[in-house]
Amino acid sequence: MSTVATQNFVPVAELKAAKGRSLWQDAFRRLRHEKVAMISLAIIIAYLVMAALCAAGLLFTNYNVTDHGAAYLPPGAGHWMGTDIFGRDVMARAAHGTITSLIVGFFGAALAVVIGTVMGAISGYFGGVIDELIVWFYTTVDTIPYILLVVAFSFVVGPGLSTLCLAIGLTSWIGHCRIVRSEFMKHRDREYVHGATALGAGHARRIFVHILPNVFHLVLINFSLGFVTAVKSEVILSYLGLGVAAGTPSWGMMISDAKLELAREVWWGLAAATFFMFFLVLAFTLFNDALRDALDPKLKSR
Amino acid sequence: MLTRFLVIFSASLFLSYCTRGSKVSENSIQFPMKMNLSSLDPAQASNEATNEVGPNINETLLQYNYLKRPLTVEPLLAATMPTVSKDGLVHTFKIKPGVRFHDDAAFKDGKGRELVAADFIYAWKRLADPKSKSEGWWIFDGKIKGFNEWRDKLTKGEATYETAIEGLQTPDDHTIVITLSKPYYQLYYVLTMIYSSPVPKEAVDKYGAEFLNHPVGTGPFVFVNWIRGNKVVLKRNPTYHGSLYPSAGEPGDQEAGLLADAGKPLPFVDELIFHEVPEDQPRWLNMMRGNFDISEIPKDSFDGAVGPDKELKADMKAKGFELKKYKVQEVVYMGINMDDPVLGKNRNLRTALCYAYDQKTPIERFYNGRAIVAHSMIGPDMDGYDESFKLPCKEYSLEKAKEYLKKAGFPDGKGLEPIEYSFPTSATGRQFGEYVQEQFGKIGVKTVLTGNSWPQFQDRLRNKKAQMFGIAWGADYPDAENMMQLLYGPNVSPGPNSANFKNKEFDKLYEEASKMPPGEARTVAYKKMRDIFAAELPWIPTVHRLGFQLSHGWVENLKPNKTLPNPFKYMKVNLEKKKALKAKL
Amino acid sequence: MLKFILRRLLYMIPIFFGITLVTFVLFNVAGGDPAAQAAGRYATPDQITVMRAEMGLNKPLLNQYFDLVTQLFTFDFGRSWSSKQQISHLITAGIGPSLTVTFPGFVISLLITIPLSLLVAHKRGTFFDKATLVICLALTAISSVVYVLAGQYFFAFRWGMFPISGWDPSWDGRWQYAALPIIIMVSLSLGSYILFFRTVFLDEMYQDYVRTARSKGLGNAKILLKHVLRNALVPIITLVVLQVPFLITGSLLTESFFGIPGLGGLIYQAIQEADFPVIKAMTIISAVLYMVFQLISDILYALVDPKIRLG
Repeated sequence: MSTVATQNFVPVAELKAAKGRSLWQDAFRRLRHEKVAMISLAIIIAYLVMAALCAAGLLFTNYNVTDHGAAYLPPGAGHWMGTDIFGRDVMARAAHGTITSLIVGFFGAALAVVIGTVMGAISGYFGGVIDELIVWFYTTVDTIPYILLVVAFSFVVGPGLSTLCLAIGLTSWIGHCRIVRSEFMKHRDREYVHGATALGAGHARRIFVHILPNVFHLVLINFSLGFVTAVKSEVILSYLGLGVAAGTPSWGMMISDAKLELAREVWWGLAAATFFMFFLVLAFTLFNDALRDALDPKLKSR
Repeated sequence: MLTRFLVIFSASLFLSYCTRGSKVSENSIQFPMKMNLSSLDPAQASNEATNEVGPNINETLLQYNYLKRPLTVEPLLAATMPTVSKDGLVHTFKIKPGVRFHDDAAFKDGKGRELVAADFIYAWKRLADPKSKSEGWWIFDGKIKGFNEWRDKLTKGEATYETAIEGLQTPDDHTIVITLSKPYYQLYYVLTMIYSSPVPKEAVDKYGAEFLNHPVGTGPFVFVNWIRGNKVVLKRNPTYHGSLYPSAGEPGDQEAGLLADAGKPLPFVDELIFHEVPEDQPRWLNMMRGNFDISEIPKDSFDGAVGPDKELKADMKAKGFELKKYKVQEVVYMGINMDDPVLGKNRNLRTALCYAYDQKTPIERFYNGRAIVAHSMIGPDMDGYDESFKLPCKEYSLEKAKEYLKKAGFPDGKGLEPIEYSFPTSATGRQFGEYVQEQFGKIGVKTVLTGNSWPQFQDRLRNKKAQMFGIAWGADYPDAENMMQLLYGPNVSPGPNSANFKNKEFDKLYEEASKMPPGEARTVAYKKMRDIFAAELPWIPTVHRLGFQLSHGWVENLKPNKTLPNPFKYMKVNLEKKKALKAKL
Repeated sequence: MLKFILRRLLYMIPIFFGITLVTFVLFNVAGGDPAAQAAGRYATPDQITVMRAEMGLNKPLLNQYFDLVTQLFTFDFGRSWSSKQQISHLITAGIGPSLTVTFPGFVISLLITIPLSLLVAHKRGTFFDKATLVICLALTAISSVVYVLAGQYFFAFRWGMFPISGWDPSWDGRWQYAALPIIIMVSLSLGSYILFFRTVFLDEMYQDYVRTARSKGLGNAKILLKHVLRNALVPIITLVVLQVPFLITGSLLTESFFGIPGLGGLIYQAIQEADFPVIKAMTIISAVLYMVFQLISDILYALVDPKIRLG
């Protein structure tokens, strides 16, 4: 039931850079003054740094160290978030789970945004039959329930990290595509585009060099939104047994394990995974909110 | 409109909650099934849940004595044990007269007609017919004179169900003569399996493809309904032919109160309700509330209920819970695909992996100590099982593992491609996989884990795609032959020999043993086969699990055994005790 | 208006074609030969041959595609691999139990979240707003497994307020079993619904007409109730209508934990057991349902706001 689409509400924005200052500089200046946004950004960067350090083997190196005598230790001095069934440190595993989540979030959202932007741009710019075809295609894909599409996809390709990114990317580009399409429809008849045509710019140049920068803020906003959705999807799919390969630390797997372990009152694995996920999702959502405000000139008058 | 709906809704919510009473008879057994039910057609009884529900509806010629261990066969639909010709090939069964099928719309006037010999032959032919998609054909495949030939002709359209089979004769309505094409000492065992139940042709014809939802048998219970994803309800058969509670058991049975109902007609309860509860939590909580009568103990609830001495904790005992422990004729193992160019051809490598796998932790973590180390493919309490036999590599030793790895040509795992380990996906299956990965990792062997849904996992085995795989085999009958066939050469995938083990000497012994009656000579042959297994290691055997059955004090006559198919008709509910104990829950 | 509806109806034809095509490519072309899987582990080769013929897998792809379309029109999807049941029966039997939980759950959720989000949007930027935002995010960050496990453990087992699990097909009997799943569903949707409606209301509040109303001297509360709510009705109706297909398909986890014989449990089981025909049928049916309700939502949208003509 958490299927409410939270992706499609980016208001269609009229974009004209303020005189003298570019939109981006302006947005950046506004963003810098938003305390919440800066804190959120700091948290996101902290996650990135942590994941990088974990991946480089510099932080929480004990994530795969088993100690069968010390299984299911509750949180305490040696293990701040306790240990799991094999006596592995839960905090280290949750920290390493960040890598999986960031990979899935980044590649899933990036793929969705790239597909959405390209399809939306082509569709909105050319219009006509091409537009009809693309709209038909995404309307079709949109009707198929997300979870079943991903399930079918991973049955066909086989589960794994790359399948997960692909499945999420290939199924979540539609909202973004719609928005980009309608922006391009507005922009293609603007004077500056006609000007570019007069100067001999081809279609590709007009799309990517002239119009795209004007709608790029939408790409950024939707990437950020897609990131959160992808992170949450990883958890659900891992629970269904369609996630990353066993042995790879992942929040979804930790939550899936908790289904049984709660019976023996082992709650810390679940708590750690939820805790790590919560702050990442929270930071992303708050940052996204601020980003939207900063990049959306209509809200400027506030 | 919404508000009006809400008012009605909430009113009905509370009203019905207040009037919540059980329509279910108190004199019933409520049993939770882990798996969802599949077809109720005996020919399609390959699913665990079907094997729990089915035998209460459909009966077989023979059954196991409820109390005797090791399991011994006794007549059920047969009037007596069959007479056998001198060469052991001709078995003549007399069917109990006056046994009637359940009343069903398929019969004239809806009254169940009398069971005759032809019903058995018809049912067995259905097993052979590829159209009925039965996974039970193996019980007769290649064993009965003329049966395989009939099957071939049927497939080609040259024979019909009316065509007679030389090895299956019915001289009169109450006699079946089975003529074997070669000795088959497991015949009586397979005749206790639900696959061999007689089915009335009228019902199969009437219901067609929907026969699987309209089981008609002769059993102590009649099928009432099935709400998919929820429960199956059976009620007592009013016209039951009356099989009796055994009047003699083993030493100790008298003291355990298992003979209090000796000689009384079965069944004792009015209703049997099988609940489909795949999740552990609701299964356990309902058991604790007394909504279910018997249950297994989920591994993560075990420590809360059972103490380190493997006995129930005091508070559980005070609430009237009872715990029954029993041996299970099964083996859990890691199979190795012997067709694999690396693992299959390198005995030292397999030995190294066997040495590297420490059995102690899984027994504690995954089985709560409810398992013993497996040293061969033969399960406990089976012919050829020898407690003193030790497979050397089951002695955990990293040094020896490394030594063998070196001998195998991969010192410290160098040069060895990662090993693929397939397992059926579930939280526990995955944790097992992670454990295997960790253990092999200690000697430098890398492992890639492949989780699959159960059907996909089976598909990998059939297509020889898995390199190593985690699986268990529960015996269909108490004869080690059932384990041996998993390693018999001609049975390689797509047959049941998923390890694709081919060993001429083993196959020769298997064929010889199949012609031997149970006895010392056969046991010797089984032990020789076991030794070949130990030398070649097509599997790394892991454990034999022990059964721990939890029940409420009001359920009487419990003597659990996994191979025995029909325990429910013997169970009795002590209504007074139930009332008293339920008040404590 | 009529022309618009007609055009929109006609547009369903290519979409329907698209749905069948995508499902076909996923399951029949890329999915490989499922006959062996359907026949079981120990099926003999001739049984697999029978199975293949029965599933129509030996026909040319084009014929297989027509079979798929025929299946949809005749509502005959063959049999499930795991339960061996007629899939159409499984589906028709599952709709009622699923809706028993999801429909009241959805209505209650809306009644709680819409007024609450209006309040939150009204107080945008205040501490109250930020606290609600954080709480809602926390609610959505907690896995739904926790809601189900905890709800069942505490409400049903510890406090004995509801049965632990089970189902009664009679109308009177089913509410006692549906009550707790409904409560769980409501708590599961609180967070995401409030987040969603808050954004909807905020988007409206920054529209020009609000500024105009404010400059006319109207009070904040009045603007909120009179203008914002009324205009936000459009996205709300869209949401409500588009949620109906999901209400029909039910909730995967809740149903399997509470033994509710609905479509969610059916899908969950099918995923666990790789029951291809059931997943295929559910995919195609959900898609068609979604398509139909999208049409309804578009028509309603056009009725509410005649300026909009969707193409």
